[in-house]
Amino acid sequence: MSTPDTTSTDRDSTRWWRIVAEREVTTKVREKSFIISTLVMLALVVGSIVLLNAMQGRESTHDVGVVGPQAREVVAAASKTPLAKADNTTLTPKTYDDVAAAKAAVRADTVDAALVVTDDGFELLGDRSVDDAIERSVTAAAASTALQRNAAAQDVDLSELQAGTTTTTTLLDPDAKNADVRKAAAYVLVILFFLVAITFGMPIAQSITQEKESRVVEILAAAVPLRSLLWGKVVGNTLLAIGQVVTLLGVAAAALAATGMGDQLRSIGPALLWYVPFFLLGFGALATLWAVAGALASRQQDLGSTTVPVQMLLMVPYFLYFSGSERVQEIVSMVPVVSMVIMPSRLAEGGVPAWQIGVAVVGTVVAAGLLVQLGARIYERALLRTGNKLGYREALRLQAD
Amino acid sequence: MIEIQSLTRVYGDKAVVDDVSFEVRPGRMTGFVGANGAGKTTTMRMIMGVLGPTSGQVLWQGRPLDAETRRSFGYMPEERGLYPRMAVREQLVYFARLHGLDRADASRRADDLLEHFGLVDRSGDQLDDLSLGNQQKVQIAASLIHRPTALVLDEPFSGLDPIAVDAMVDLLRREAKDLPLLFSSHQLDLVERLCDDLVILSAGRVVAAGSVEELRGRGAERYRVVQDGGDAAWLRDLGGVRVLDVDGPTALVELEGLKPQDLVRTVVEHGPVLEVTRDRQPLSEIFREVNR
Repeated sequence: MSTPDTTSTDRDSTRWWRIVAEREVTTKVREKSFIISTLVMLALVVGSIVLLNAMQGRESTHDVGVVGPQAREVVAAASKTPLAKADNTTLTPKTYDDVAAAKAAVRADTVDAALVVTDDGFELLGDRSVDDAIERSVTAAAASTALQRNAAAQDVDLSELQAGTTTTTTLLDPDAKNADVRKAAAYVLVILFFLVAITFGMPIAQSITQEKESRVVEILAAAVPLRSLLWGKVVGNTLLAIGQVVTLLGVAAAALAATGMGDQLRSIGPALLWYVPFFLLGFGALATLWAVAGALASRQQDLGSTTVPVQMLLMVPYFLYFSGSERVQEIVSMVPVVSMVIMPSRLAEGGVPAWQIGVAVVGTVVAAGLLVQLGARIYERALLRTGNKLGYREALRLQAD
Repeated sequence: MIEIQSLTRVYGDKAVVDDVSFEVRPGRMTGFVGANGAGKTTTMRMIMGVLGPTSGQVLWQGRPLDAETRRSFGYMPEERGLYPRMAVREQLVYFARLHGLDRADASRRADDLLEHFGLVDRSGDQLDDLSLGNQQKVQIAASLIHRPTALVLDEPFSGLDPIAVDAMVDLLRREAKDLPLLFSSHQLDLVERLCDDLVILSAGRVVAAGSVEELRGRGAERYRVVQDGGDAAWLRDLGGVRVLDVDGPTALVELEGLKPQDLVRTVVEHGPVLEVTRDRQPLSEIFREVNR
């Protein structure tokens, strides 16, 4: 059985895939659904950064009822303890005449808690619970106030007594204070990969099935080598996807800078930059698989089943990331293709050895090369088969014709 | 000239196209007829390279047809196919550019063809919004958009009203005047009117091929005799003719040895005559004969 001649000059094949890619892009950017979904994603990114910013910088102030000058002194001192400062907590004392009045105020929620003097110290009253920040700072302040008073009464030098008792905590990671932001960025990057890969991968399959369904593929096949058609689709949709990713990341960076989170931006910046090439590689590796899924289907309804393998390839790392232990994540972040999803998020969290990045990149480049070869082969064989949906195994067995 | 040489396509153990050979000469319309399933579409798809032949080859100007030349052909597949949700003019320009025209040339060409079909005011509409007849016009325009070097059209006239058929024939005569043009059709009257050459396919094999004149002229010579009244049954007694049919003053005879001029003279001598004409076998009859 002979194969249709697909030889051509280089100039021509460039011309073909460029024109095909151009059509993919210009058709897509004019679609209402594309414009709307892009705007929604941008709004989500900006919105979540603004929200994050609001939560991070929030100062909490609590009113604490006090009975007696001693209690008042403790609450006033509590705001000055290192604990309260770390929690961004300010406590304002409100004096009540007696314990009953203070209890009533707590029950009525006019104060968040109340501090009363007892025979052997202090009692912190809450209605159902007492805010952690209040409890810790008041406890610390009460202890040191009492200690000072007792030391003075016994004529002991408190500073001598306390010598050698302090423990300070020092975090070795200079960027430790941004750990939360980095963790959040890691999550967002994984979800972003998943979303963008699906929203730009599926249309590759759909547009190929549509060409089969409308039979226009017959004219295209008579005018253009099938491979050029495939490259055009892959390049066009990859450009669209990467364009959206860069736009989203750019807007996110701008939003971080604009909300005064420049420090956090510097902390996740390298991960964001890494993300673009990782995404490009990962999406490119999967793009031909989407094309194959489209070529195997003969109607749009078939896509549900023919896209399963590539959807699994996207889903599996997604679940591994969210359910796997750190060790699992570390290993998975080096598995070809899957690594493109997990590695950028690990980079956002920080502390990834360079060799692991290297393994991830090289593995994926090799895998992408193989997938593209295999995908192109199945695509060429399945594209002009109309009639029934084809299975992957069946397509691999097909003779070229 | 396109030469089809022993094209064969086997599916399983069934030869859908079996050793098919014929020529498509430039400047002549070649009609490709055959019953449903005779293998016309399969043959055309193999000529266009969208289907690989099991064996056989296609020659162009005496040399095997290469991919680049093949892409310069205009093709209209049996199953119509264009982008349903793309504007008419935009997709014509797209196909033109895929065929190597630059953007300006592609636009000019698209406008020209749309103008010919009176579709200029629909050029911004999606293909979907056009009537089936108009979609068909766009389809033929798509096959002509790149000034093809040859045309392979599978059922180009099906679904068109007579006026649209005329518009398309005009266009083909203008655009493909000097090109080899192969088209398949079920409408034998149309094929008879348009074609110079004819290829008849039956069950995957060529059963007749040649110029329409040749094909229709073959077989015995038939004449229709119409007398001015009376009964034409006397012809049965004449030697050298076989009477096929008599209907009052009208008779259809086949000459078996008698010369045409002798027939005319004998008829005139017998009584008043209105007409003696050669009766050419209609294509439909040839078609039925070879398909028997």
